[in-house]
Amino acid sequence: MKVEISRRRFLQGSVALSIAGGVSMSPSAIMASASASTKPEDIGKTKKVATLCEMCVNKCAAFAYVKNGVITKLDPNPYFPKSRNMLCPRGNSGLASIYDADRLKYPLIRDGEKGSGKFKRVSWDEAYAYIGEKLTKILDEEQDNRSTVAFCAGEGMAEHTFKNFYTGFGSAHFLNHASLCLATTVSGYSLTIGGYGQADLENANYVVMAGANRAEAIVTPDTMDFFRRTKGRGAKLVVVDPRFTNTAAKSDKWLGVKVGTDLAFVLALTYVAIQEGIYNKDFVEKHFNDFESYKMHILAGGYTPEWAEKITGIEAADIYEVARDFMKHAPRAIYYQGRRTTWSKNDFQLRRAQALFSALGGGIDVKGGICFGKSIAMKGHEVPAPIYDQSKSRIDSSEAAVVGGSGTWVGFRNKVLEERAEYPIRALFNYKHNPMANMPNSKKTEAFLKKLDLVVTIDTMPSDTVMLSDVILPECTYLERTDPAKVYGGIEPAIVQRNKVVEPMFESKPVIDIMRGLTEKISKPLFEITKKHDEEVQTLIEEEGEEVAYDEYDLTKAFQSTQEELNHHSVANHEGAAESLHEKAVFYPNMDKWFKKLNVNDYEYYPESEKAYSVTNGKFKTPSGKIECNLTSLTRRGIDAMPTWKKEYEMLIPDGQFRFVTGRHAQFTQSGSSNNKMLLDLVPTNYIWINKRVASRMGIKFGDELEVASKVGKTTIKAYPTEKIGLDTVFFIHGFGNKSAELTLASGNGGNDANIIEDSIEPMHGATCLHDTIVEIRKV
Amino acid sequence: MARYGMVLDYKSCINCRACETACKAENGVLQGRDNYRIWVGQKEIEGEFPKLSIASMTYHPSQCQHCDNAPCQQVCPTNATYYDENGVVRVNPEQCILCTYCINACPYDARYVDDRTVTVDKCNFCSDTRLANGETTTACQATCPTKVRTFGDLDDPNSDIAQLLQKREYKQVKEHLGTKPKLFYIL
Repeated sequence: MKVEISRRRFLQGSVALSIAGGVSMSPSAIMASASASTKPEDIGKTKKVATLCEMCVNKCAAFAYVKNGVITKLDPNPYFPKSRNMLCPRGNSGLASIYDADRLKYPLIRDGEKGSGKFKRVSWDEAYAYIGEKLTKILDEEQDNRSTVAFCAGEGMAEHTFKNFYTGFGSAHFLNHASLCLATTVSGYSLTIGGYGQADLENANYVVMAGANRAEAIVTPDTMDFFRRTKGRGAKLVVVDPRFTNTAAKSDKWLGVKVGTDLAFVLALTYVAIQEGIYNKDFVEKHFNDFESYKMHILAGGYTPEWAEKITGIEAADIYEVARDFMKHAPRAIYYQGRRTTWSKNDFQLRRAQALFSALGGGIDVKGGICFGKSIAMKGHEVPAPIYDQSKSRIDSSEAAVVGGSGTWVGFRNKVLEERAEYPIRALFNYKHNPMANMPNSKKTEAFLKKLDLVVTIDTMPSDTVMLSDVILPECTYLERTDPAKVYGGIEPAIVQRNKVVEPMFESKPVIDIMRGLTEKISKPLFEITKKHDEEVQTLIEEEGEEVAYDEYDLTKAFQSTQEELNHHSVANHEGAAESLHEKAVFYPNMDKWFKKLNVNDYEYYPESEKAYSVTNGKFKTPSGKIECNLTSLTRRGIDAMPTWKKEYEMLIPDGQFRFVTGRHAQFTQSGSSNNKMLLDLVPTNYIWINKRVASRMGIKFGDELEVASKVGKTTIKAYPTEKIGLDTVFFIHGFGNKSAELTLASGNGGNDANIIEDSIEPMHGATCLHDTIVEIRKV
Repeated sequence: MARYGMVLDYKSCINCRACETACKAENGVLQGRDNYRIWVGQKEIEGEFPKLSIASMTYHPSQCQHCDNAPCQQVCPTNATYYDENGVVRVNPEQCILCTYCINACPYDARYVDDRTVTVDKCNFCSDTRLANGETTTACQATCPTKVRTFGDLDDPNSDIAQLLQKREYKQVKEHLGTKPKLFYIL
């Protein structure tokens, strides 16, 4: 027993998230909140506060103008190399997000049937006490199996803070957006070329964007860098997409691919490159691992353009042309990685094939190719990571070949619903995540949320998920809080920090304050449960006393400092960094020397010689240090070692039915912005794209109400007949059609894709297949 | 004293409409689809899927052209519309009687009725907002992700706008009407 304890305690030390070291602080101006003052002497004056946007995932730097305690305008802040010098429509509309009358204002506890929408207002202490009571009961009944409580979080800078709570709590279940978004492309590129990387669109001369829509789904700096160079101004663009997007409008060639067949297209490009010997032989020779096997695989597979034409609907001549043109422009040629790559069963293999094709041109770790860039070191802070003996392992790890730390959301939900799990999942902590809107098959999500004994949701808006929760904790918006400072590595790395602009409204709080308040209330009672069921802890108490034992399980420790203190500590190694983050929201070494205004629109961040285009010294971050063609280790897990086309990938679309695809546009960020009146002013609702000729045959005109039905559900939406989509495909923007009656503008507005998308997952990571649904349409 | 104009590198426009949002927020333009000072023009695409004309799909950011010879100014019966000292076509809300002659006279469709000020209003290059506060850019220019716009003094040979017009070919919209617009679209 004693040996085991010491092993366990050794482990505890090593899982602590980061380096030791206390938080040493001195009171200074930096520590004071950056937020605008409402003191009498400041009335009438306009103050400018540097901060970061959170209307989407990009975190662009912004300036907020504040007068009399009210934010009057958001402007671009030019100091952040990643966001250059701009604010998109969503960034501008942050104003409508903080001043949205429908915001969650007070803690609430459910006061009626789940889903009834009935809640009662409580104090923060009452909410914490209620959570504590429920949790201790659940954990006592489950013999301190911490994994009975799951944690999920939407993307954001404070996700890290919430995750510290999860780490201390000791559950095995963390779930985030990865399996609904980019899991397959990140791992596809990482396992193949040693990283997801950053496409250097400022310098690439030839880019294939397939499915990625950077003119509408804005990613910084890609969007800003690239579309100033398209249309015959330096960069050639080939867009492969089943619909004609704004990105296609900027292309030199647009190929209307059949949904779910991109892999066949990439395999055929690869075939041409290899068969004609036009790839970068020097690069392949030096940097490819087991190229011979891949070469054989592609040639023997018969992946000719003529073969691909039948599957993809793209003419063979176009495939030859793109392959040759790509290699002619290589190494400044990129097959763009893409981001939300939850499409179909072959997503992981598709991204592997893309990475390998890109690498055949040699455009990896070079200017104008896919770059890995540099980071800037920051100091960590220690948080407790206790081990609970009764805590069991993840229930969703058998749902796919490799289930990582962010889980497979659909796999997890379905396993719980179908009662296939090894033990019950009884509670969920949810930080600004809206699975009701973002996970396919919302009927199942609703049943899942109803099945749980306790759902605690921290959010700013009364989303559909919030309405199905037991306890609602109102977070303040991003303009009312300071978030963890974070480094953005890349070609031009920088540390950035979101500074509080104004004080939180109503009774809302930043998540770090919520975590502090909650853990102060529940840490001790939860430890009592551990004491009761955990023999290791009992022994530890016997040997070293309760105080020493509790010290390791004290959940309050991670939240004792303020965010401002933590941030100050994290950049203490860099002179002037804390001041710069406070004033400009941005810091990088030599910024004062290198940052330059070039003209009325543009700035230079790093001199050309200091940009981190090439960093690997020829050794890629893969097991062999080379580009990996043949991942034989995956075959054990039932995953193909090399990208292979399978007959099952060809989906039959019955006559009169359609394959559904989803996506987004520049005026909207998923369901999170669905109630934003400034954005709805630009685009009041979503429309279903249906081919004009097909619509005409069906008697459908613009604006007609249509019912879209799949095997799993239906939704109603207005029609937009257009030639920008094929005869057998329909599309609409994700995030509309919310149910929550508390969202005045969003409730019942437009069609909801989560109602109709079938919930299948791909085999590698259990990521969702959002484009594998067949729908029927009728006028209503 | 300056002569303000704007160059638009319109091929960079991705139709994200950040400019429209920033304009409304900066200038207090009311919400609602009929209330706008600036806009991005586009047409429905030509061709049939999958043979579509990429060239038919252009995005054309537009607004008041600040004509040196402005039809809206000529028809205004109360002189509510006037040229300010920087050559910007402005509207004085005190003098506007909502006769809407200017709406009909403007060949660029740049005028709208602002219910807040009860004025037939239009873009004024942020003269009473940003420029009055010492900024040197308009809201639409500052916010633009792909930096379509360059605003500045056409008479200052060292200004970015003057330099651009010296180097790049451009077109003006409906120049044949003799309006002498001060918006320049780079080809």
